[in-house]
Amino acid sequence: MKHLKVSTLALCALLAAHGAHAQAVTADKGGKVNMVLLPKFLGILPFDQANRGAEEAHAELGNTGTLLYTGPTPENSVAGQIEILTTAGSQGQDVVMLSNNAGDQIAPAAEAAQAAGTKVVTWDSPIPSGKGESLFVAQVDFGSIGVVMADMAHSIMGGEGEFAVLSATPDAANQNAWIAAMQEALKDPKYANMKLVDIVYGDDQSEVSYNRALALVDSHPNLKLIMSPTTVGIQASAKAMQDEGLCDRVKVSGLGLPAEMVSYTLNGCAPEFALWSFVDLGYLTYYTSYMLATGKIKGEVGETFTAGRMGDYTIEEDPGRPGAKRILMGPFTVYTKDNVEAEAK
Amino acid sequence: MTWMRSWEGFLFLVLVLIYALNAWTSPVFLTVGNQINMVQLSVEKIIVALVMTFVIINGEIDLSVASVMGLAACAFGWMVQAGVPGGWAIVIALGIGLACGAFNALFIVGFGIPSLVVTLATMIAFRGFARVLVEDRGISGFPDWFNALGQRGLVGPVPLAIIMFAVLAVLAFLILQRTAFGRKVYFIGANRAVAEYSGLDVRSVKIRIFIASGTVSALAGIMFAARVGAIRGDIAQGFELDIITMVLLGGVSIFGGAGTMSGTILAILIVLALRNGMALQNITGHIQTGVLGVLLILSVMVPIIRETGSRLLARVR
Repeated sequence: MKHLKVSTLALCALLAAHGAHAQAVTADKGGKVNMVLLPKFLGILPFDQANRGAEEAHAELGNTGTLLYTGPTPENSVAGQIEILTTAGSQGQDVVMLSNNAGDQIAPAAEAAQAAGTKVVTWDSPIPSGKGESLFVAQVDFGSIGVVMADMAHSIMGGEGEFAVLSATPDAANQNAWIAAMQEALKDPKYANMKLVDIVYGDDQSEVSYNRALALVDSHPNLKLIMSPTTVGIQASAKAMQDEGLCDRVKVSGLGLPAEMVSYTLNGCAPEFALWSFVDLGYLTYYTSYMLATGKIKGEVGETFTAGRMGDYTIEEDPGRPGAKRILMGPFTVYTKDNVEAEAK
Repeated sequence: MTWMRSWEGFLFLVLVLIYALNAWTSPVFLTVGNQINMVQLSVEKIIVALVMTFVIINGEIDLSVASVMGLAACAFGWMVQAGVPGGWAIVIALGIGLACGAFNALFIVGFGIPSLVVTLATMIAFRGFARVLVEDRGISGFPDWFNALGQRGLVGPVPLAIIMFAVLAVLAFLILQRTAFGRKVYFIGANRAVAEYSGLDVRSVKIRIFIASGTVSALAGIMFAARVGAIRGDIAQGFELDIITMVLLGGVSIFGGAGTMSGTILAILIVLALRNGMALQNITGHIQTGVLGVLLILSVMVPIIRETGSRLLARVR
């Protein structure tokens, strides 16, 4: 089993910040906070898992307010997220927990919600400019995702050949940050014989991603690997390669859910992929939002708090987005045929 | 009481019912802030629905409206990023919309190709241009005055977009129902051949309608950019179906020749109030879409049922 921890640097920063603050604040149970968990859109597994984590925290904290899980349809994601966030402000919800799919287009709505007294905590994918956002709960350090993807590519391709990226939407802030981080990592001489030939977008929709994956194979005859840092994209790519009998030639890797990827890992189409726990991400996001809404934390850099079973976390500057603040969850796991079955159950 | 039996009368009753239901189930619904949000969240679509009413009554369709919105918004963003002053960027983006409309008209009127085919093609083409222009990026950082116009109240809490909708709605009503041009739109839509034999300038009417459609769509696209303060290639994608839904729900016949502007406006308010009411009740997007679909089917069914009913009645007598 191969576990990859948060980058050492981030860990040091975490410990240093921890040391500076004597006591991590803990949540008061039984508060009344009305919360909305707003995913990019409904109907894909990781967001449902995040909701499970949020529900767990909701019960644990004895929140007498409501936890609402609602989101737009995939075709209407941008306008729908803006609409739901705006409505939440009108309804007087206390916090909206947002996995942003609208780029900076949602910033005015987030600022309006904040002005109406509704806090906006992002998770999974932040608001690129940080405008209107109270805090961002990051799953793993964006830089370390880049290194992990580069390493998986290196191991699958044997260190040489052409590969391509199949991402979600063109300006999903998380996707772009991870791809940029991978391109940065690829500058290391270790990866000198690997060539990133294309980046395409499947909009996080299975059908689109499936077709884009096949188009990649057509347009790059020497392609050895499709790297897809999205759970929808990686599954669609793996299915496309399997359906067309291309798995011997083109492998698939990236970020995927064990339950969805297990068959492709065992049959060799996607020998390695990585992910963190979305249940934990939902749980941590809920704790952060609850404590922010009850005033136990102010959302300032350096504040440390205890997030139930997950332990202590500290608010820090987001290195990728100047002026924005984040909480770093980490670590994440690389799955292979050795450990995927156990996790998929 | 004849108005009660008209489609508009029916829509009005439905609207009153939905407002009453929403007000009863949510204390927030009738607040000024929520009513403004309700309109503002869809203001770009409903502005285009006004001009779409002309297109459909005239016996045509324009599927390219949302792509023109996207192209104008992306062109605006691209120009601002390239250093073009905001005011000029708006004017040029409107010009692009006008050109798109003229391009549609050239093929529909000039070459006699059905508008369904032409605008289906340009729907794809204009969207393609928008994506080529901004590639796979989001562009933000528009001038402050521009964002303020889209996001803040201009007269009290009422933003410019809603005022523009109100003005355009009155204008559209007057042009369609009170001018010679409006009567031509109906006449041509009801029977093009008769209109041509009667010596009506069918071509000029159609050209003007498609140019108006392109220009208004571009305006709506720019307004969208101002409201959200950022653009990307998929902006306004899929809006054409929502827009056409509102117009058909308003009682405009897809075969042309029938319908009214007040019908469209009532249908717009019904769709907005219904969506907002469902959102306030925390009903998710999938169900909202389903309810609107059922509503559209009913709106097509009701006149047919009524007609069949009266025919049956006549036979019994």
